[in-house]
Amino acid sequence: MNTQSQTQKGSVPLYAALILFSAVFLFPMYLAVVNAFSAWNTTPGLLPAGFHPENFKYAVTMIDFWKFGRNSLILLVITLGTSTFTSGLVGYAFARIAAPGRNALFMIILSTMMLPGIITQIPQYILFHKYGLLDTFWPWVFWGIGGNAFYIFLYRQFFASVPKELEEAARIDGCSILRTYWSIFLPMSLPVVATVAILNFQGSWGDFIGPFMFLKQDHYPLATALSTISYTQNGSKLVLQSVTTAAALLILLPVLIIYFLGQRFIVEGIVTTGVKG
Amino acid sequence: MKEKTKRTIAFYSMISPWFVVFIIFGLYPMLYGLYLSFTNYYGFNIKHLKWMGLQNYHKAFTDSDAMYSLGRTLYVTAFNVPLSVAIGLGLALLLNRQVRGVSVYRTIFYLPSIVPALASVIMWKVIFSSNNGILNGILSTVGLPEVNWLGYDYATTSLLIMLLWGAGGGVLINLAGLKGIPRDLYEAASIDGATPIKRTIYLTLPLMTPVIFFNVIMGIIGSLQIYMQPILLNGTELLARPIQPNYLYFVHAFQQIFAFQRFAYGMALLWILFLAILALSVVVFTTSKYWVHYETDQE
Repeated sequence: MNTQSQTQKGSVPLYAALILFSAVFLFPMYLAVVNAFSAWNTTPGLLPAGFHPENFKYAVTMIDFWKFGRNSLILLVITLGTSTFTSGLVGYAFARIAAPGRNALFMIILSTMMLPGIITQIPQYILFHKYGLLDTFWPWVFWGIGGNAFYIFLYRQFFASVPKELEEAARIDGCSILRTYWSIFLPMSLPVVATVAILNFQGSWGDFIGPFMFLKQDHYPLATALSTISYTQNGSKLVLQSVTTAAALLILLPVLIIYFLGQRFIVEGIVTTGVKG
Repeated sequence: MKEKTKRTIAFYSMISPWFVVFIIFGLYPMLYGLYLSFTNYYGFNIKHLKWMGLQNYHKAFTDSDAMYSLGRTLYVTAFNVPLSVAIGLGLALLLNRQVRGVSVYRTIFYLPSIVPALASVIMWKVIFSSNNGILNGILSTVGLPEVNWLGYDYATTSLLIMLLWGAGGGVLINLAGLKGIPRDLYEAASIDGATPIKRTIYLTLPLMTPVIFFNVIMGIIGSLQIYMQPILLNGTELLARPIQPNYLYFVHAFQQIFAFQRFAYGMALLWILFLAILALSVVVFTTSKYWVHYETDQE
């Protein structure tokens, strides 16, 4: 590495290292794309074996892709529409309103972040079974309304770093607490709202265990469907690798698009809240 | 009404969505699960549960599968955590050197960590597969011997490679930490004649310890709970048993519950790990005042 000062522009070895690492990280993705376009039953390599975009067509026609996609969307809308907002409200209360019991309750929120999800999911399964809520989307509504410990934490960190004067000014102007939140704090927290929405999107879109436990196949979202149903040639047990990879890329695509659209918010959100996204 | 009462009411009504759901769908199931772990629940006897005391917990420590899987989990954690923390920090250090096009590299490094786990497993499976696998195809093209990547000897290495592919996700928080180090410290060090390597070792790393510490703890917690990747890397369905070296602790618990309906024993296994994680978390939060920095004082 260079021996000049920190502010100097990077040197050749630095860029060589960066390009090398970029190649390493992109390589699997490149291979997946190559494989998705390759002919069936060929040994995929560095270059595609033929050009077969019809693999993507098979990926959506060989299984009931759009039905599973619709289920994914339903779960997504429920989760995004609830958790993003209730988490903000709760985070605000924890950051800005002093009340007895606040610190103890916040410790509880933090410890639920450490809780392996499965430890509550299995008893929930038994309880949902008892109350006839299995194979319905209701559990997602309830979970959404409850918010998410990590999102609450993100909002709380952000709101805690806002100077007190702002609130006092609002108080003098006669704003109620809820009004202060709605018209002053929430608009200011746009980077965090976007960060939470993006994380929420990624979490909901990629979750295949929750739906696997609580739903039946007809209500599976895409991720769960792909983890339980294989693309096979008629009558054979051989999995079609190129079609499966094409389907994986189709699942990945919305995540990439959302990430690119919201990237600057995530970076900003993480800098302002000082925690990992 | 007094100002204080008003605020208390406002606070509790604002947190009520979380609080109510937490009680009904978090705390209650959790305690119910804890209760079940002391019974003989096996899926069909919910009306005639028998209290078994600590028997399930005792069994966990004498179950050779559980102990084996715990050992494998610690093995995976021992490699996964230090390597992923080092990768996240190393890449951030590179990017922090006034690089042109920093956002492009940052995006590339971060990208794999947002790939849904399922898509990532499908991609890597094709790469590792011994039957028509890409990696072996490449190896044989360049004249190297093929390796059974998903076989007994290499399965855990393959799992680690797949996990570490997502390690760039740590770049963002590390970069945020690096940006928080005051520039004049570096200038002072430069004037004193410190080389960039010395500045990194004696200035950057000590100031980054809070972030490193946070990443290590979160990494351990996450690593102990890995179960889906090993299951899907070898198997084709969620109830498949992964190859022996990748038979991790959470896989074992998952198997007990969903493949064998041993709900009570599975819950005991989960609670044992949860208590271990909880002990770790207490360490994090009691020390948090040394590494969390707020711009304003808390009320």
